[in-house]
Amino acid sequence: MVKILIWVALLLTAAVAEAEINIAATTSNMGMLARTIGGDAVQVRVMAPPDRDAHYLEARPSMMAALRRADLVVAVGAELEVGWLPAATQGAANPRIHPGRPGYFEAAAQVSLIDEGQPADRRLGDVHPTGNPHVYFDPPRLARVGEALAERLADLHPAHAEEFRARAQAFSEQVAKRVPRWQERARGSNGVILYHKDVDYLARLLDVEVLGYIEPIPGVPPTARHLRDLVSRLQSRPEGSIAHASFESSRGPDFIQEQLGWQVHALPTNVALDGTAQDYLDLIEAWVEAMSG
Amino acid sequence: MTKPGAALLALALLTAGAQAANEPSLTQLMEQLERLEQRDQERQRQLEALQQELRDARQAQARTQETVTERVVGERRPAAPVEVSQGPQRAPLDRESYRTRARALGDGAVTSGTAFNPAVSVIMDGVYAAQSRREIESPEGFEGHDHGHGHGGHDGHGGIERGFNLRETEITFTASIDNYFDALVMLGVEGVSNVEIEEAYLVTNSLPAGWQVKFGRFLSDIGYINKQHLHDWDFADRTLVNEFLFGDHGLQETGVQVSWVAPTETYTRFGIEVLQGETSGVAQYEGDEEFTLVTLLPDFAIDPVTGQPVPVASGPNRIRWRDDLGLRNKSGPRLFTGFVTIAPDLGHDHAIQLGASGGFSRAWQNVVTHSSGRVETWDGDAWFAGVDAVYKYDAGRSFGAGNVVLQGEYFYREIDADYVSRSFSNFGTLTPTAAGGVADVFSGTAKQDSFYVQGLYGIAPRWQAGLRTEGLGLRNRTLEPDRADNAFERAGTSWRHSGVLTFRPTEFSMLRAQLNYSDFDTDEHGSVWSFLLQYNMSLGVHGAHSF
Repeated sequence: MVKILIWVALLLTAAVAEAEINIAATTSNMGMLARTIGGDAVQVRVMAPPDRDAHYLEARPSMMAALRRADLVVAVGAELEVGWLPAATQGAANPRIHPGRPGYFEAAAQVSLIDEGQPADRRLGDVHPTGNPHVYFDPPRLARVGEALAERLADLHPAHAEEFRARAQAFSEQVAKRVPRWQERARGSNGVILYHKDVDYLARLLDVEVLGYIEPIPGVPPTARHLRDLVSRLQSRPEGSIAHASFESSRGPDFIQEQLGWQVHALPTNVALDGTAQDYLDLIEAWVEAMSG
Repeated sequence: MTKPGAALLALALLTAGAQAANEPSLTQLMEQLERLEQRDQERQRQLEALQQELRDARQAQARTQETVTERVVGERRPAAPVEVSQGPQRAPLDRESYRTRARALGDGAVTSGTAFNPAVSVIMDGVYAAQSRREIESPEGFEGHDHGHGHGGHDGHGGIERGFNLRETEITFTASIDNYFDALVMLGVEGVSNVEIEEAYLVTNSLPAGWQVKFGRFLSDIGYINKQHLHDWDFADRTLVNEFLFGDHGLQETGVQVSWVAPTETYTRFGIEVLQGETSGVAQYEGDEEFTLVTLLPDFAIDPVTGQPVPVASGPNRIRWRDDLGLRNKSGPRLFTGFVTIAPDLGHDHAIQLGASGGFSRAWQNVVTHSSGRVETWDGDAWFAGVDAVYKYDAGRSFGAGNVVLQGEYFYREIDADYVSRSFSNFGTLTPTAAGGVADVFSGTAKQDSFYVQGLYGIAPRWQAGLRTEGLGLRNRTLEPDRADNAFERAGTSWRHSGVLTFRPTEFSMLRAQLNYSDFDTDEHGSVWSFLLQYNMSLGVHGAHSF
């Protein structure tokens, strides 16, 4: 009995002795941002593995354990995690991180979104009427999110406020340095076929035309008819490229490749669990390369 | 609203055009962005100021109107109608909330309109059932489980009849009540007319340190599958352990739950529940009630003065027989449960959750009447305990392909009861019957258990196949009296094996085929094949499923 009590005491003190701001990030990109801005003042746990589609996760006990001890949740937001974050939050019994409290931070709420105000009709697929949530595919937007996150962290831990702001500033500058280079690289692209609407942000930033989507409507896997339509529509066009997330099935993209002879690029959408800002910029650069075709 | 992405893009294009050869200046870019943002913020401020002015003006106008009304009243003129008639009429002292009226929208007032409405979802469930025999009898030792629910006459289980079933339509409302409570109301419409409140509970949303209190009517958190609704199941029908050890809706009770999530790396949750105690399997309650029997005697009537029968010649006379059954009165709450759930972190691919739970009921009572006029009663208490385990593997492929779910539960139940079989004698007194010359009065303990194990595998994107095996009454000392022996009978084990194939076109729709082979221990010992086709669709805002 005494042993158990000692263990409990140790566990409790361990929780207290950990880094000063305990962050539960939904995706590894958000984890990257939190670590980039927070530095040593934060301890980050990523709930969704980088190689999974954050739309379709299920609330898991490990998420609840992470949320139970979190001071701050850093989510992508705009209902991207609606399938699991609310359930995991409810299971965590930690009111600090409920939406609306200082412990809840949503990237999509910090910037404007594209595709806002689409009809909320599920016949149109897995739609997000509040706007396209995939803001991490827009580095300048993510940089803005980083600045907002710095302010939030500063509220939670005023002693480190200036460090947070400086790091957010540094990240913004890193991004701003790369954007023109990327735009330069993508100039003259013949367009790209995407799988899902997530990469739209990057296509806009680069001014690359999105020629079509492998999915007939968001969240619905490709049908043979849709793919044939896509092929016949694009047959006469100059060679573009096909880019999709590595967790998405390659069958649709491969079919297009066979028919059109365009190159397929399967790329990660999120950095590794402990990925850095550099990894993130490299990841975006890989997408830029793929879309520049 | 700032559009930094668009602004950056425009800027980058401009600068790229102007100085194509040179590296564009970063500081210029950032400065311009900042200027744009400042302008934007300035405009936002102006807009807000204008809106504020507008609101102030409206309020001022409203105040002027109020003073006008006051002056009118002060002059003792007949009071003008305070508001344009809307909805039902009210008496002067009726409170506002006595009569609801539709909220007028767009009448020029600043209103949040319907924005505070709760989130609504409707889940539709239907089943087509076919069976190799006309009837699936209840397993031996569990016949009484549907007492009081009137499910008799169905030829399947869980209320499924042969042919088409509009099984259940779940209507769920969820909202935050205030900054202290969240609420959920779920109405289940069984078939076309039988509306039941499946759950209607409030749950705290701001208790610190991992505490949470839930109260109202809810599905108990014992076991794993008990708190799931029909649309959460991986098979079309309720497990035998849930249906026969607990009840037609599992352990669904009214009461209070207090739970605590520990701040540990390993997810750990403890909880206790104090419940009214109405679930047939573990907490059936009758209370002290008078037993009435009405008979027609051809040649007797009861003399109102002496209470004795007197011969009459005028034909059948109705006689009412009354006596107390003598069941103990136990006021609620009668059922107390506890549970613990542990889920170590096994990384992103694997997850496991282990649970243990149990409960004690201060009362377990049952009354069975026979057309002969004989009445049997059981009066006692009950307890149960069980374990549950779930393992999930996430293959990381799209739409659940390659995913594995293994799940199992075991529950054990004991009911300690005093049994008595009685019939009327002496026109008004219940006296014990006697089979084999000894009065049918004895005590005993029913000891019964049940388990299921099931495995599911994502055979392709959106397709899931699974197998389930269930055993009921592996240990099966029932509450069936052997009156010749003055003891409760023993019975054999009932089995059911199921295979299922589920297709989920989207997250919101599901089609399923299931084949059951039921080998129940029944009087006729017949095994039955049954086939179920199910659809389950969700309309509206559908909340996320918990693990």
